[in-house]
Amino acid sequence: MDDGAGPSNSMDTEDILEKKDKIFEDVLNMLVDKLNISPTDIHIDTDVREELMFDSLDLYELVIDIEEAYDIRLPDEDLDNIVHVQDVVDLIYTLSTSC
Amino acid sequence: MTEQEMEMADCLVRIFENVLITEEMSLQKGYFPDLSLAEMHALDAIGPYETRTMSETAAILGITTGTLTVAVERLVRKGFVERKRDEKDRRIVRISLTRQGKVACRMHGKYHRVLARRALDPCNEEEAKLLLRMVHDVDDFLAAQAKKYNERESLRKTAKEVAGEKRRRQNNG
Repeated sequence: MDDGAGPSNSMDTEDILEKKDKIFEDVLNMLVDKLNISPTDIHIDTDVREELMFDSLDLYELVIDIEEAYDIRLPDEDLDNIVHVQDVVDLIYTLSTSC
Repeated sequence: MTEQEMEMADCLVRIFENVLITEEMSLQKGYFPDLSLAEMHALDAIGPYETRTMSETAAILGITTGTLTVAVERLVRKGFVERKRDEKDRRIVRISLTRQGKVACRMHGKYHRVLARRALDPCNEEEAKLLLRMVHDVDDFLAAQAKKYNERESLRKTAKEVAGEKRRRQNNG
């Protein structure tokens, strides 16, 4: 028996993926502007500190830019868990959809 | 003074000195060598996400608005603070942090967090609560002492002002 959960869930998943894609695009643009590198050098699984050579100043500059663009606050505790670009995207998604 | 009291007194004074030294050094050797510790604390008092009036900020820092005006002037010149007139009441000037000011403020907050984490990390939940309670006790005691001195100081100031006023009236009369 169809309880209707299937199609609605897949719509939700699509919606989430679409929003995350848009966030990735924004983050990509911010990183390209900031680091002056080609967008093709940045992927969702790029290591922010190891591959993009982010130090704490770079990270906090990005944080402030993200906060202003999305009108959210990125708590310090959550920044400790950022390793890949994916983590940045997930964090923005979580914080911007929970407001 | 008992040996324990001496050890406690030494530790408290050393903690105070070393916090100041390391905060100052972390600024000088870090990304913001053009910021003094007092200026950094002024940024902290304004806060990364607030728009404050001068008197609000001065009250948080426990300084006069005159002293704050000088500090803010410097911070505006260095690009950490911006001033805007209140749109509803043009007599009020509101201050907030620039992007660079926000970055400095957040990074300095990280220094405080690392310090707190280092103190709490070796503790289990119960020990952490106990340590926090004890630190609060010391903090409360010192805050009460500071308040007492401030009250005495303002009392002295008032007495001086009254005496000065009386003298002026006598001289004029």
